Amino acid sequence: MKRIVVTGIGCISSLGHNCAEFSEALLAGQCGIAPITLLDTSEFRVKIAAEVKDYDERNHFSEQQIKKIDRYAQFNILASREAVKDAGLEIDKKTSERTAVVQGTGIGGQRTQESGYRKLFTEGAKRLHPFTIPKLIPSSGASWVSIDLGITGPSFSTTSACSSSSHAIGMALLMLRSGIADVAVTGGSEAQITFATLKAWEGLRVMDSTACRPFSLQRGGMVLGEGAGTIILETLDHALARGARIYAELSGLGMSSDAHDMLQPDPAGAGRAIKLALADAGISPEAVDYINAHGTGTKQNDSSESKAINTVFGAHAKKIAVSSTKSMHGHALGAAAALESIATIIAIREQTALPTINFLDKDPECELDFVPNSARPMTINTALSNSFAFGGLNAVLVFRKFNNE
Amino acid sequence: MDDSVSHDVLDIMAKHAEAEKGSITPDTSMEMTGLDSLKMVELIFDLEERFDISIPDPDFSTGHNQQFKTAADVIRVVKDMIREQDEDS
Repeated sequence: MKRIVVTGIGCISSLGHNCAEFSEALLAGQCGIAPITLLDTSEFRVKIAAEVKDYDERNHFSEQQIKKIDRYAQFNILASREAVKDAGLEIDKKTSERTAVVQGTGIGGQRTQESGYRKLFTEGAKRLHPFTIPKLIPSSGASWVSIDLGITGPSFSTTSACSSSSHAIGMALLMLRSGIADVAVTGGSEAQITFATLKAWEGLRVMDSTACRPFSLQRGGMVLGEGAGTIILETLDHALARGARIYAELSGLGMSSDAHDMLQPDPAGAGRAIKLALADAGISPEAVDYINAHGTGTKQNDSSESKAINTVFGAHAKKIAVSSTKSMHGHALGAAAALESIATIIAIREQTALPTINFLDKDPECELDFVPNSARPMTINTALSNSFAFGGLNAVLVFRKFNNE
Repeated sequence: MDDSVSHDVLDIMAKHAEAEKGSITPDTSMEMTGLDSLKMVELIFDLEERFDISIPDPDFSTGHNQQFKTAADVIRVVKDMIREQDEDS
């Protein structure tokens, strides 16, 4: 089987506009969650989110482009530009056809949809802007990455709520293994902090209005985030042939469905995805050093995920450092796994377990080492990135320190 | 508790618990109603719509998200919120 490696990373999030800022914030345990500025929150119980701060689209795009590209797809483009540059990848005529774009998103161009429909339904507008459809479709992120970078290989988007970008990276892995492409520009994006979306999330009563405290006894739910992450995947042969720097190997993928409920997670489904990922990577559970957990901060997810980890790893579970970086960058939904895969790669690069910040007291239903509040230097050869979405759609990725044996 | 608010709250609770009308009384514990966290979210939504109120989230700082122990607690919060709404308007 072809080996697949990560050679570039790029991201934009509440922790900065690039990977250097993201990395620095994660290692320092900084929090990107703050009062919402994108909309007036006077009618909301929840007034905080992990927004991309100080973002001015005019710094990156022309007026003509802004008319056509939703905020979420702009994030896709910026993260992908950074990742391609970071990888030192030249996309010429030859590589272009052998490069794939696979990008996840939970909703797509929600801002475009909402602002257009508001005009139509409440402001008496007689027509919508002609670019509304190309701007709002959830595949526009993948399209724009392909257009912006001149990539002519297979491109598409994946959607599976909070696992969207994990499935995207997983599909890219399978395409490279199968020989359909040599390189993949993969990850995901989300920008859905809008009036109606926030109302809808509030109605579900799964959000904490004070802070995100994954795995803590005092956790009260998730905090919405936004942003995008892109990683460059390459077959090992392709990477070695062009002398690329290799961050890590993406050595396993495990996917499963709970077939249980749209909201309540089933630890058995999550556990199966973890086991399948380990089997795909050809490693034993004892090889795992660090897990970047799904860790949303809701009562249900965190206890279910802890149970799944304890069941799969048995006695070894206590030796694994498990953290939820959502405590810092919020829950970026369709971009979550992209940002968290990058966080996992940073943990391997820096040989440091990233912290779970805002951690107060232990919950007896979450018995693991959650690396509370500050990062911890340690040996990390093998790390998992967990994603367990609403509706029971699970995907787990295995990243390993690269070893050319 | 034979007032109309209490009566309506208990009726709405019975509907969500898929129990017979009148089978839930103020003394019924939330555990006994079989309303899990998701059914509770729906119940709260229906109560907010029915009485035009806004019911706050529980205080998570204690580590417990149990807002209501019995049906009487639900009635009390609904009445408190109706009063608060009246004072505001």
